[in-house]
This record gives sequence, structure tokens and C-alpha cells, in this order.
Amino acid sequence: MNAPILTYVTFLPLFGVPFILAMSQKSDSGKNIIRGIALFASLITFIASLRIYFAFDPSIAGFQFIEDHPWINSYGIHYHMGMDGLSFWLVLLTTFLTPLTILSTWRAIDSRVKEFQISMLVLETAMLGTFVALDLFLFYVFWEIMLIPMYLIIGVWGGERRIYAAIKFFLYTAVGSLLMLVCIIGLVYFHHQQTGEMTFNLLSLYGTSIPRFYEIMFFAAFALAFAIKVPMFPLHTWLPDAHVEAPTAGSVILAGILLKMGTYGFFRFAMPLFPAGSAYFTPLIITLSIIGIIYGALVAMVQPDIKKLVAYSSVSHLGYCMLGLYVLTRQGVEGSVLQMINHGISTGALFLLVGVVYERRHTRLIKEYGGIARIMPVYSTIFMIVTLSSIGLPTTNGFIGEFLILLGTFKVNKLAAVLAASGVILGAVYMLWMVQRVFFGEVTNPKNENIPDLNLRELAYLAPLVVLIFWIGLFPNFFLKKMHVSVDHFISQVKVEAAAPSPQVHQAAAIELPGVTVAMAKE
Amino acid sequence: MNDLNFSFDLFHLWQVTGGQLILIVSGLILICADMAMLKTDDAVRSKRLGWLTVIIFALTASHMMSREWGIHNTVFMGIFSADKFSIFVSIVMVISGLLAALMSIGYLENNKVMKGEYYVLLVYAVAGAVGLVQSVDLLMMFITLEVMSLAIYALAAFLKDSQPSQEGALKYFLLGSFGSAIFLFGVALIYGVTGSINLTHIAQTISGGLYENPAILLAFVMLMAGLFFKMAMVPFHMWTPDVYEGAPSVVTGFMATAVKAAAFGVFIKLLFVAFSPMLSHSGQPDFSSTVNLAALGAYWKPVIWWMALLTMFFGNLLAVSQQNVKRMLAYSSIAHAGYMALGILAANGDGRMGVLFYLFAYTLMNIGAFGVIYVIDGKERDAQTLDDYRGLGYKYPALGFLMGLFLVAMAGLPPTAGFIAKFYVFSAAIKEGYFLLAALGILTSVIGAYYYLRVIYMMYMKEEIRDVVRGPVAAPTVIALVITALGVLYLGILPERLADIANVAQQSLSMIF
Repeated sequence: MNAPILTYVTFLPLFGVPFILAMSQKSDSGKNIIRGIALFASLITFIASLRIYFAFDPSIAGFQFIEDHPWINSYGIHYHMGMDGLSFWLVLLTTFLTPLTILSTWRAIDSRVKEFQISMLVLETAMLGTFVALDLFLFYVFWEIMLIPMYLIIGVWGGERRIYAAIKFFLYTAVGSLLMLVCIIGLVYFHHQQTGEMTFNLLSLYGTSIPRFYEIMFFAAFALAFAIKVPMFPLHTWLPDAHVEAPTAGSVILAGILLKMGTYGFFRFAMPLFPAGSAYFTPLIITLSIIGIIYGALVAMVQPDIKKLVAYSSVSHLGYCMLGLYVLTRQGVEGSVLQMINHGISTGALFLLVGVVYERRHTRLIKEYGGIARIMPVYSTIFMIVTLSSIGLPTTNGFIGEFLILLGTFKVNKLAAVLAASGVILGAVYMLWMVQRVFFGEVTNPKNENIPDLNLRELAYLAPLVVLIFWIGLFPNFFLKKMHVSVDHFISQVKVEAAAPSPQVHQAAAIELPGVTVAMAKE
Repeated sequence: MNDLNFSFDLFHLWQVTGGQLILIVSGLILICADMAMLKTDDAVRSKRLGWLTVIIFALTASHMMSREWGIHNTVFMGIFSADKFSIFVSIVMVISGLLAALMSIGYLENNKVMKGEYYVLLVYAVAGAVGLVQSVDLLMMFITLEVMSLAIYALAAFLKDSQPSQEGALKYFLLGSFGSAIFLFGVALIYGVTGSINLTHIAQTISGGLYENPAILLAFVMLMAGLFFKMAMVPFHMWTPDVYEGAPSVVTGFMATAVKAAAFGVFIKLLFVAFSPMLSHSGQPDFSSTVNLAALGAYWKPVIWWMALLTMFFGNLLAVSQQNVKRMLAYSSIAHAGYMALGILAANGDGRMGVLFYLFAYTLMNIGAFGVIYVIDGKERDAQTLDDYRGLGYKYPALGFLMGLFLVAMAGLPPTAGFIAKFYVFSAAIKEGYFLLAALGILTSVIGAYYYLRVIYMMYMKEEIRDVVRGPVAAPTVIALVITALGVLYLGILPERLADIANVAQQSLSMIF
């Protein structure tokens, strides 16, 4: 391997930090320079990540761009990074969304700009690190580092009840992740007992055989940590608070990327590490996903606050991701990964759009608006497009993701597919009803008469998202083809191993294992 | 061992206990220097004495690192030993004293208590602590324990016109004397049964069959209780909050780290030399019947299990309701003792290494935190409550950042030394199969995260309601804070070098004294 591209991409954002620290934020121009530096640093990161895009070889099922250096030798902890088709788009989504988000804070964040931009850049590094870490210890470090900047973003720049929301966010996540740490160490010692090798290397730990009781407990602890992050019903209660109180940029990052950490954790760590535990909990997780889909949609319907509505819609959408993951068919898993990207784009865009009117009117209540389509035509058009993508209208990205998930589910579990499909209808109901009340009809509130339409900066950060919505919607294969091989590999990994304790799921194990990787062969 | 041909070899003494000698002699020199400068201005004298103390500690540390680290030997027919374990803990305590001395220069100036005795007491406290950890003889342990404690009692009472300081010190003195007396009782019992006060002799004697003798068990309990008091383990923790709150902030930082290190060091030495000897490197018992003593584990392990759990739980839980930051950190130090007890409970090499690493990391982050606290509070201002920390992060960005860093480290979040230290002790406990305790313990650290973060949100998310003006920050304090902060980050990112050293240190316990 030549240049350590993943390290560059992960740590590039941090290069902006010393420059930002050196700037004064007393004057407006100083603040603008700080914002500029942050934007520049995140853009450079995006450009660097494009190199990954071109160098990535979709025909390899295993990990690419591997970097492996010893870190803490006595415990077998390595600085080990790599990427496969499952994390590929998530990394690109992160590098893509962050500059847009920073651009969106130009006017929204006017106090303590320096601290805010530093938090954003540190957060980006931590998120990227989480997606590419292949050592459980390294993963855990990035995972925890992520908490502090997010805690600050919600707590310092958030709304009225921001401190409550920030602490709730922190404590929920900390409970899950600390238990996960205990189980990581436990897993490592089980591996140590069997092989005499002390290692935190994910690839070596795959396929460790653990006593069934511990496998189930370990999976439960991992699943708890990730399910809180996803968030799955009934662990979702931190999400609406965090979203509503967070500043726009915080919400975008939270919905766009942080929630994906949960699902990512499931398919990278919890499921392949503990296939038997995963199989044991599959019925429960599918049930909770379905409940999440329907419950999220129903609660979203009655929200008076647009942002809260979008927050609850996330619960519903992430329910699809989990469902797709857990039916373990190729379509389901691919749909699930694609739906993660889609959700990042559509919901990210929705939060940005809500932020736009909030900056102008300082309210997010639906009843304060009405008929603004006439006043802000460009804004309304974009909002409509994003809404349709969120509902899953054909030709938009949402359709592809949901369709694939439902297709994959139908093959395995018809009842689940039917119930999940009802969520699509409910989704249309709450989104369209909200759009109708906000945008159409007479202008009922005189305060809305003079809201300016989108300016160039706002267009600049919304346009790329709109382009992506159609791009994924019209040419999904462009995105899917990067992950085919990795998805098959993932399914085989989780399923073949699960086949032993639970024979009823082996029917789909017939899927051949294309190019089983070095990692697998080692086991 | 009862060698009557004992000869007083000065060079040997210097090699083994040179660090202690430096401390004792230079403590006397400090007294003289104080008197020689009677005519000088108080502030100037105090400052000079402070720097002198810093130099003394630096010399001591360098002697320990260069000379004592390399040998494994005893003096005076086995009263003091120089083994890597004792030296490691001693160095931690000397570093703690060094940082405290650096900060004291500014602290005494801010609080207008310019008395030379302060530094003398500080030096003797460290001398006592070093002696305590180096002794392999129960009676010498008691004597040095008292030397250390008396100096600390006086230091805790150093703010003569502050009522909390006096009250705390008196409580500490009364309860501490009680604890020491119980320890002494235990020593007497051991001597009565085994006829020896040397740790190795005791191990040899009781492993022959006495190990389940009720008198030995009672003595064991008494020795442990005396040390648990100094370690501030629940239920021997009652004195901690009052003393930590009342004592001068720098002294609190010193007390919380050096005394804790000394107590943990000597406890581990007592446990793993006399009562539960480790096997030597080759896996062979060092003497016949060592394995018998493993049976003692059935007695002490459940005790430590429960005490670790209760200490972690109550330490963290009681900290939540505290409004005074010093008092909150007092409870947090109790909780930290509980985490360290996990490493002892594991009773394996990783666990002992983890405790040593933890002591080092804890020294850095705790002294750092109390350094920031002293800069913010002050004699007149008395700004120690959470409300006083509102908005400080923006008023004093550097102090706020440092405080945030130290608190994050204490909460055990990466990339700080606190995280690595917790990782080591928890993984040692998990290695021995203490899953339940590890899981419960780590959940208590979520409670911990709550109150540490509360200070951070006071600093960064609340508007100021009281006009808190920090005191002047002296240059030595800046040096100490920068050292601690860099140390906390360095050990968080590259912990391996210190961990290796700590591992070598704990292995030396397996060799006979």
C-alpha cells in the first residue's frame, strides 16, 4: 500500500484547528476567517476522500487501504484501519456532509464561533475514525471521542432545554458504550484463552467461539450500545430532545452521520462477531424495528414542531435500516446501507431547510406558518423535492432504499414486509400533511409576508443534496455496485456461522461466497 | 536473616534508602534556611524555600530513578527495601510532592500564608510516605505511617484562620489516629502469633499452617482496615470530604494522590508479600507451602469485591449531590480508590500493573485539577461552588480547557490517561472473570461522568451569575499545570512505555526480601 490515505482523510480536519485557535473572534471578519478555515479544512478532507473513491476496488470483498501499526503491544492493540464496500459510502457521506454543514452555520452560529468550528472538525475526525477503525480498541476510542464535541455542540449552541438534552444524549450513549467496553475486553480474553494470542484486531476476533451464554450477553451489550445510537424503539427517547435542542448543524450531523454509527456498529461488529447471539435476538430486533417504523411515523404525525417531526421520522427511517439488515438477504442489506446514505441526505437536507426558516422567523411551529410557497418559491420547491425523497417517491433516492428493503424482507418474512410497508404510507401522511399546512393555502400569519427566499450560500449547500437525491434515485447501481461483494461477504459471515446453532436459517446460506477474503481464510 | 554480624555500611544505606536520606536531611536544611532568612521579606523567603523544595524533590526523584531503581536489596536486617515496586510508588509520590511544591509557591502567595514550615512539612510528608512504601517491616510501617500522617494533619490545618481547615484537620487527626491504632493492634497480633514483624518471615511462618488461625485472620483484617482508612475505601471514607474541602487546595491535591499512592503501595506490598505471595517468574513457589496462602484468597477476595463495588458506587453517587467542587472531587477520589481496588482484586500481574499506572495517571490529573481550583478559589473569595464555575470557560479559556481536560480524564474518556488507566484495571478484573463487578463498576462511572460533565457545562453552557476573578497565576503553577496536562494527554495516547515500567515494577514483588 502506498500513502496511508485513510489516516490522511481521518486526521485532515484537525489541521484546521491550530489555525482557528490562532484567530481572534472579536470582529466579524475574524469570525468569517474562522468559518473559512473550517470550511477549507473540511473541503480538503472531502477532496482527499475522493482519492479513496477512485482508488477503491469494488471487486474485493475484504478490506482495502489497510494500515496496521502496533500501538500498545502488551495488549495486542494496533492502529489498524481499513475500508470495505460497507463503510465506503458512509465515509464519503461524512466528508461530503461536513462542509455543507459548516457552510450552513455561517449565520446561524454567531457566538463562540471558534469553539464551534473546532468542535465540528474534531467531531469529523472522530466520525471518520469510527468508520475506518478495524481494531476494537481504536474503534472504541474514536467512538468515545465523538461524544464530547457533540455534547458541547448541543449543550452550548442549542435551544432552551439544551443542557437537559445534552446530558441525556451523553448519558444514554455512555451507558451503552461502557458496557460494550467490558464486553470487548471479555471477548478479547476469550480469544486469548483459545489461541493464546492477545489481540484487539477485529479480523482475528471474527469467528472466536464463545460459550453460548456469553455470546448472547456480549451481543446484548453491543446491541444495547448500538441500538441506543440508532436509535431503536424503545431506546429512542434521547433523540427528539437532542434534535430539537441542537443547533441546525448539530442536528444534521446527528441525523446524517451519528445515527449511522449505530447501524454501522451492528453490521461491522455486533452481528459478525456474535452470529449466534445475533440469531438469538433476530425476532426481537425485527419486532422492535417494525414497532419503530410505525410508532415513529404515528408520533411524527402529531408533532406541532417541524424539527421534532423530522426527528421522529428518523426513528421510523432507521427502523427500515435495521429491518433490512436483519432479514439478511442481499437486497435487504444493500437497501439498508443505501437507506443509511439516503437518510443522511434527505433528513440532513430537511434539518438544513428547517434551519433556514428558523433563522428567518425563529420558530419551528407548524401553526406559525402557512402558505409560504407563494413567498419563498425556490425554498418551497426544494423542500418539496426533499419531502418526496423522504417519503420514497420513485425517481428519488428514498424509493430505492425502501423498495430494496421491502423486497428483501418479503422474501424472508412476509408479515414483517406488510407491516413495514404500512410505514411508507404513514410516512407519506405525516410529511405531506406537514407540507400542506406549512406551504400551501392562504398566508395566515402576517409575519410571514416578508421572508426572503434562499440566498446563494443556502442554495450552495442545498443544491448538492438535491443532485444526490436524483442521482441515487435514477442511477442506484452506481452506488450499489460498490458494495455488492462486501454485502455478500457480510451475509455469508453472519449466516454461515449462525447456521450451526439455528438450522432454520440456513436456506439462504446457499449464496456462494465470492472471493472469501484473506481474513476469512485465516480463521 | 537474624544476622548478628550486622555492620553499618553507609554506602549500602545510601544506595537503598538514598531518597529518604535526601528528604530527611534536606528537610533539616530547609528549617535552617528558613531561620537564616528570618530578616528577609516573607514573600521572598517563601518563594525561595518553595524553589528549594522543588530542587529537593527533583534530586530525590533523580536519585531514585538512577540508583535505587536498579537494585533489589534491603537494609537494617530487612527494614527498608529498595525494589522496583516500592521505588515506582515512591517516585509517584515524589512527583506528586514536586508538583504540589511548584503550585504551593503561587498558592501561599495568593493566600498570604508565607510560613516556611509549610515546605518542611511537605518534605517530611513525602519522606514518611516513601519510608512507608519502602518498609518491609510492620513496625517500621507503623512509624513511617505516623510520620507521614502527622505531617499531613498539620498541612491540612495550615490555614489557621479558616474554620473548615481546622475542623477537617481535627477530624482527620482523630479518625486517623484511630485507624493507625487499629493497624498497630494488628501488628501486635501478628507478632504474638508468628513472632516476627518482617513481611517475608510472616509469609513463611503462616504458610506452614497458621494461615487459617483466627488470630492471624483478625490481624489481617486490622492491618487492612488501618490502610483502607488511608485509601479512603467505603466504609472507611467518612473523613475524606471534610478534610479535602477544608485543607488548602494544593494540599488536598497532594493528599489525594501521595497518601493514596502510599496506602495502595503498602497495601499491595503487604498483601502480595505477606498474605498472598506471588509465584516467582519461573512459576515455582519461592518457598515451600506458598500455595497454602492462596487459600487466604477465599477470605480477602470477597471482602475486596464488595468494598470495591461499594466504594465505586457510593463515591460516585455521593459526589452527584455536592455543590462544592473540592468536596465533589473528594468523593470522586473515593470512587477512584474503588477502581484501583479492582486491580488488587484481580490479583494478577495486569492488575498490579494497572494500579501502578492508575496511581501515576491519577496523580497527574488530580493535582492538575486542584491546581486549577486553587487559582480560581482563594482565601477571601472562597469561590469553590459549582455556581462559581459558571461561564469560566469563556472568561479564562486556558484554565477552563485545563479543568475540562482533567475532568474528562477523571471521567475516563479517551484520549486521556484516565481512560487507559481504567482500561487496564478493568481488563485485569475481566481477565480473572469478574464480569459482573466490572459491568457494575463501569456503570457507576456513568454516574461519575454525570458530575464531571456538570462542571464542564457550568463552565461552558451557563452564564456567569457571580463575578469570580481568578487570583494571579504564578509561573511555577503554569509549569506544573502544563506538565500535568501534557502528561495526561501523552499517557492517553502512548501509554505503553509507562505501562512496561509499571509491569517490571510489579514483577519485582515476586522476589523475596
